[in-house]
Amino acid sequence: MAEENRLRIGPKEGVTYPIQVVYCGNCTMPIEYCEYYPEYDRCKQWLEKNLPREFEKVKIGDNSDTAIGEEEKKRQKRGGKGIIKTKKKEEGPKQVCVSRAPRGKKKSVTVVTGLSTFDIDLKVAAKFFGQRFACGSSVTGDDEIVIQGDVKDDLFDVIPEKWSEIDEDFIEDLGDQKR
Amino acid sequence: MFKKFDEKESISGILQLKSSVQKSIRSKILESYPHLENYLDTILPKKDAFKIVKCHDHIEVLINSSGEQQFFRHREGQWMPTLRLLHKYPFFLPMQQVDKGAIRFVLSGANIMCPGLTSPGAQMTEVEKDTVVAIMAEGKEHALAIGKTTLSTADIAKINKGIGVENCHYLNDGLWQMKAIK
Ligand SMILES: [Zn+2]
Repeated sequence: MAEENRLRIGPKEGVTYPIQVVYCGNCTMPIEYCEYYPEYDRCKQWLEKNLPREFEKVKIGDNSDTAIGEEEKKRQKRGGKGIIKTKKKEEGPKQVCVSRAPRGKKKSVTVVTGLSTFDIDLKVAAKFFGQRFACGSSVTGDDEIVIQGDVKDDLFDVIPEKWSEIDEDFIEDLGDQKR
Repeated sequence: MFKKFDEKESISGILQLKSSVQKSIRSKILESYPHLENYLDTILPKKDAFKIVKCHDHIEVLINSSGEQQFFRHREGQWMPTLRLLHKYPFFLPMQQVDKGAIRFVLSGANIMCPGLTSPGAQMTEVEKDTVVAIMAEGKEHALAIGKTTLSTADIAKINKGIGVENCHYLNDGLWQMKAIK
């Protein structure tokens, strides 16, 4: 009976909407589906770090290994491969590159690439740099921001400060671009 | 529908909607999903400016002023909710539950086959053919896909082979991964 109730259409009494579903920081799915993600181990790492209580539950589930065992059995019966793709952006390494490029005779600009590998909205980032350094800053390519001014060295402090997930070690200094 | 969708390549333009068009979309959505009656003002506030993201393959995505994807449709079809929206208001679509073994196939974008809906772990709620439904799963709380029935549930049970529900949108497909559009 409880099951039947579960699938019934219409708002449920005593529930406040909208419901906040907890999504995994690795695979982005509701955490109950992490076990189906090809990089489940990375999901677990994320869970352990961010939602230790949920991680404990997962560990218990893993030991009884019912999900996998049962699934393997069923897999034989079904056609198709049922391969779940990982996200595309996982393919490239996560790295931000900064470099200095000349502009005119005396001035230079700073080029920042790779912010989108950290899922950062480039428009927001460009605006932030502009405000922070009080200069022009714009999105100039697929994953490129140009800041008007030589602020390359400052970026090593500013970027990790603004986006804590980007450690200084993830920022690569490409030096000066030649003319 | 969004299996090969890529937000960089598949978007052809963004349209700001006139308030008259906005109004008619709202009423169409309410007509399709009467259970949203008390919630539509939160989901699509009357004074908010929605936009439509036009994509390849005759797909349109309705976004609110903060850029979140709310509904989508194919050609002139019925507006369907995105999974993120459905997760917030999980009650307004008829739900069909697949068994555990089908989960990985649904998550890889496959259509839902009848046996996955009739086996012991599965459960259906009665609907007609061409109904937009939420795909739930055995032992899971949240929807993993949104689909459209290609047969009535009575026929799914009777025929019990082939495709029963077309998989229109699933966790981690192109629409799920689409970022908020500012
Ligand atoms: Zn995960």
